[in-house]
Amino acid sequence: MTMENEAGAEAANRPAPADRTARNYGDLSRVERIIEHLKREWQLYVLLLPTIVWLLVFLYKPMYGLQIAFKDYSVFRGVAGSPWAGLEHFYTLFGNDQFLRALKNTVIISFYGLIFGFPMPIILALMFNEILNQMFKKTAQTIVYLPHFISSVIIAGIVMTAFSPSAGIVNTVMGWFGVDPVYFLTKPEWFRPIFVGTGIWQEAGFQSIVYLAAIAGVSPTLYESAVVDGASRWQMMWKITLPSILPTIIIMLIIRIGNMLEVSFEMIILLYQPATYQTADVVNTFIYRQGIQGGQYDFAAAAGLFNAVVAFVLVMTANTISKRYSRTSLW
Amino acid sequence: MSGVNLEGIVKAYGPIQVVHGIDLEVKEKEFVVLVGPSGCGKSTTLRMIAGLEEISDGALTIDGRMVNRVAPKDRDVAMVFQNYALYPHLNVADNIAFGLRIRKESKEHIAESVEEVGNILGLTPYLERRPADLSGGQRQRVAMGRAIVRRPKVFLFDEPLSNLDAKLRTQMRAEIKRLHKRLGATSIYVTHDQIEAMTLADRIVVMSDGRIEQIGSPMELFLNPANTFVAGFLGSPPMNMFDATITAGEQGPVAEFDGQRIQLQKLESLANSEGRKVKLGIRPEFVSVADQDAPNLVKLDVDLIETLGSEALIHAHLMGDPFVIRTNTVGQMNILNGISGFTIEPHLIKVFDAETGQALPGQVLEQ
Repeated sequence: MTMENEAGAEAANRPAPADRTARNYGDLSRVERIIEHLKREWQLYVLLLPTIVWLLVFLYKPMYGLQIAFKDYSVFRGVAGSPWAGLEHFYTLFGNDQFLRALKNTVIISFYGLIFGFPMPIILALMFNEILNQMFKKTAQTIVYLPHFISSVIIAGIVMTAFSPSAGIVNTVMGWFGVDPVYFLTKPEWFRPIFVGTGIWQEAGFQSIVYLAAIAGVSPTLYESAVVDGASRWQMMWKITLPSILPTIIIMLIIRIGNMLEVSFEMIILLYQPATYQTADVVNTFIYRQGIQGGQYDFAAAAGLFNAVVAFVLVMTANTISKRYSRTSLW
Repeated sequence: MSGVNLEGIVKAYGPIQVVHGIDLEVKEKEFVVLVGPSGCGKSTTLRMIAGLEEISDGALTIDGRMVNRVAPKDRDVAMVFQNYALYPHLNVADNIAFGLRIRKESKEHIAESVEEVGNILGLTPYLERRPADLSGGQRQRVAMGRAIVRRPKVFLFDEPLSNLDAKLRTQMRAEIKRLHKRLGATSIYVTHDQIEAMTLADRIVVMSDGRIEQIGSPMELFLNPANTFVAGFLGSPPMNMFDATITAGEQGPVAEFDGQRIQLQKLESLANSEGRKVKLGIRPEFVSVADQDAPNLVKLDVDLIETLGSEALIHAHLMGDPFVIRTNTVGQMNILNGISGFTIEPHLIKVFDAETGQALPGQVLEQ
């Protein structure tokens, strides 16, 4: 007899705990039931605890400070001691050309990111899935995952070097065809393509992992059945793989829309300069300059709060639409 | 002639051979069932016929055409899978139409075919539903619909009923049989369930360890198994088997075991074989129960009698090995309660060589 069997037999002899609680549950009040439940499952809650503490300390406690968006905040009086200012900062915000410009840039850059950046990992995953040579597949995957692990500062350095008018590879190649050097990073019209392209280069590979995992979950018999039915690889990709990972794509899209206003802030800070503010300055960099550098904490908090509310509305809307039309939703 | 012919079919993964040269001829409109325990190579053989596995050696012909190197879609076969292989994002009608759409058939033809298949399989009310909203039996019917809509030359079934509960399995089994009668298409069906094999097949192919043990009609295999493997595999409860030694008796050969003797039929292969070790096989249904006064009684240690209504299963031991008897109950309950052994007609005892496990030649039970 194996150990497992012995353990199994022993478990069978013990009265089942579920049975005991099921019999008693009817007599307990709600609070007693919760206590009973906690007593039984406390280990699970201990596992959960670090995350809850992290959420409270880093996400909920700072919310207390949000109120300065409605106050005339002074560092010396503190959050509680500063007088209320109502919606004054919001009026100022919407009367501020720089903020409106930053808002417009945020929306445009996010939109480009969504249009060009969102499909890339899906396309990559579908392409990886078609590679039959395992060696080639793994090498290719490693190469496209790599930029994700490089610090943004280094990435920005690489981009700046690549687009440099004197030594950059881009201008060098253009030079071979007799094109005069272009000072890409000082030209407002070039900022968005360079920024969105950098984002894709850095993250598309890594994001494709999610889709590869989803593809791995598709039952192989679906493909076998399609092979017998006479489907080509191309037809299988369109008619099986893509529809099968659609729920994952939708979930990722909802998350992406929720983060739409969270344009990669450090990358912008690293790449932009006053010459390109007109196309590059986004809400987060605006907040950074006003709040941290300019010391207008209350005004910056108002901008940040506005950003958060818009993000909340976006993710709720996307989720509701998706739930209604595709039966897939984040919650 | 849309028959399927396998000649010396081999499947090897590198140096490991899993199917060792299978020869099988499936005639047009025949329903052949490959049966055997898991890992015996029956599914692999089926997948080679479908084209999902490469054939390592041998020749496969479908409809007189060698198809070893022909793509699955050009073999004109359709396959029904164990887990249905339905597309979860498509409704029933689209699932059934999938194969036709892939082949770019006309819309009218697709609509007509789907409607017809829906009627045949009783799926018409469910055509708009997704697979997730169907029961197991309905899903399996959709899977069959996908196969029959293309009107292929050959149907391949890979354990299609394994995921269903017992009741539904019986029901679907009958439906498959009816469908085969109606469509008359050549069918090859893989299962590990011997009841499915017995009820569905025109011919059964019993496989083990990548080899064919025996081919024949269900009754042939049941009555005249070629070896102990087939004898033990077909029939429920399985054939009882025990070791014995041959001695000479007054009326022909006698088997001796555990101090008891049992008369065997006269076989040429048993002439002058005193002392030969054999294995005796006795079907649970072929014995008569007896109390201790009966002549030629074989004594048993009876453990337990399970009464199932019209029949009873008697669980006993013979030389320490389990021995099961299946018998009618009506009018026999008195004997059953006093049972101490059984008697059996000599020609109903199968004699196998103890070493090779092969049935001795000359023993044929007529159906």
